[in-house]
Amino acid sequence: MTHTRILIAKTSLDGHWRGVMVVARAFRDAGFDVVLGGMLRAGDIARMAGDEDVQIIGLNVGGRIEVVHRILDTLDQAGLADIPVLAGGTIPPQAIDELASRGVSVHPPGSPLTEIVDAANRLLGRVG
Amino acid sequence: MYRAKDWRIFQLSGFGNPSDMNKRIRFLLDAGETGVIVKHDRMTDDHLYDVDHPDIVERREDVGLTGTVTVGLRDYETIMDGIPLESIYVKPGGGVAQSAPYTLACYWSTASRRGIPLEKLRGTGQSDFFLTYIGCPPKEQIPPGAAMRLNLDIIDWCMERMPHWVPVSIAGYNGADSGLNAWQELGAVFANAVEYLEAVSDRVDGNYDSFARMIGGMNFRTSMDLFEDAAKLRTARKMWHDLLTNRYGVTDERALRLRIHVVTAGSNMAYQEPLNNIVRGTVMALAAALGGTQSLGVSGYDEAMSIPSDHAHVMSIRIQQILQEETNITAVADPLGGSFYIEHLSQELERRALAFMSDIEMEGGFLSVIDSGWLLEQAARGQIEEMAAIEEGRKRIVGTNVHRAHEEPMPIDGFEGCSGEETWERAMQRLTSIRRERHGREVTRRLRDLEAACRTTENVIPRVMRAVQADATIGEIGDVFRSVFGVWDVPMRF
Repeated sequence: MTHTRILIAKTSLDGHWRGVMVVARAFRDAGFDVVLGGMLRAGDIARMAGDEDVQIIGLNVGGRIEVVHRILDTLDQAGLADIPVLAGGTIPPQAIDELASRGVSVHPPGSPLTEIVDAANRLLGRVG
Repeated sequence: MYRAKDWRIFQLSGFGNPSDMNKRIRFLLDAGETGVIVKHDRMTDDHLYDVDHPDIVERREDVGLTGTVTVGLRDYETIMDGIPLESIYVKPGGGVAQSAPYTLACYWSTASRRGIPLEKLRGTGQSDFFLTYIGCPPKEQIPPGAAMRLNLDIIDWCMERMPHWVPVSIAGYNGADSGLNAWQELGAVFANAVEYLEAVSDRVDGNYDSFARMIGGMNFRTSMDLFEDAAKLRTARKMWHDLLTNRYGVTDERALRLRIHVVTAGSNMAYQEPLNNIVRGTVMALAAALGGTQSLGVSGYDEAMSIPSDHAHVMSIRIQQILQEETNITAVADPLGGSFYIEHLSQELERRALAFMSDIEMEGGFLSVIDSGWLLEQAARGQIEEMAAIEEGRKRIVGTNVHRAHEEPMPIDGFEGCSGEETWERAMQRLTSIRRERHGREVTRRLRDLEAACRTTENVIPRVMRAVQADATIGEIGDVFRSVFGVWDVPMRF
């Protein structure tokens, strides 16, 4: 299996890193190359996704959904709409459908790590 | 203990603009809270950024979501409007070490302007290392050594003029909820206390009594391990007493009495079936009460998805009121003392905590293990271990990994408070008018004085007070700190 590169970034300026770290380690253990981006602006996420040639993006959401939309819009404008996006974190239940309708795979707190990695593999066209 | 005085019902709360915060404080006092905590917006307050900072503008809808957003002293006057500062116990914010001087200066100035002498104020700061050097490091913050210096300035300032103020509070909670286990939390908290005591060794002339009183406020987490957590609080009191008497020769009775604040574990609040968290909050609150806490905050049942809604907040207060007024557990001090199991747990926790403390000292001391990333790594290991236990079903969470429903049987919405673009716009308007109305040259002069104080050993607190009283903004204080102290490189590995 060739290595798949995943960019993991936080959408908000809230520094809680526990969820990010646990998920990042799960992807590393599953054989992914993990690029840990930290608290990036939308433009930085698009730039890093392009520069680092990532195949999939994981967003840790700690704020409002408008900020996630801004990141998705920026990816679209940068011609990177084909990169699948996963989102986890403190996502309010009412926002899950809204994100899912844009093709985002949403994983609220309590999601098993295997489920998250399987979802990534499915989005990449592999059998999970 | 509680026979003389119930524990203080002390809930973390805050969102929106200062006028929203003011309404929230009144709402909580009305529901029976017996102290006030102001929670500040993580983005602006943790970072010391103004609302027009590019990183904030990029995420402007988040402003006000995680706490109330302030631009300067005038906002504290709004937050505290009509609140009786002379009689109520207040934590005005300042959990984050780098923002504490700004927050405390704004709060104390608010009281002074109302004619309330500082020596009358009752309350607490926090300036905690576990919060932002372990739990949630902001994008930019000053290095831990600089934070230590600011904390010592706050302590000195309070020692001279504020007899009823707890200047700093060592918050083990933030270490525990980031992955440290019970004895690691205890050991790290006491290693932090030692770091404070050692920092002043050359100027207290062997008499630590007054200084020890200043750092005897600590904060611990209770989780779902009911007996271990109750034992942990008993152990903390014993360790504090032993440390001060055996190692520092403290004899002052008030200094030897540890004052504990407990926050129930936010990370134990499940996303699935959130109403179950009311039960979890009750069990964790019971652990705190049985362990003899002096004040308590119970996490909202909607913690996994948002800051507490009105209803979640009232529930957190009601849990405490029911325990205090309906159960009779307040009739006796240390009700678990003498139980073979609790005594065993207490002794074992103490033994392991002392071993962890000496591990930290072997690594160079508390500030060194923060700066090197050693303590972060211990926390990360704890997280991985806990996650593995949940995945393998060794740690059971009802509704999440066992007894999981096919469809959410008790759905609720996440609470968005008063956040959103409009909140940010209102904060921007305040920032613009402050900049327009203030005496610009005077602000520049006072910020320059602050910078000069930061570069010497002069206490910075009077300088921060003078700067905020001339309407210097939060971001301008932050710019001074960053230019003098630099920005910490978070030693995060994975």
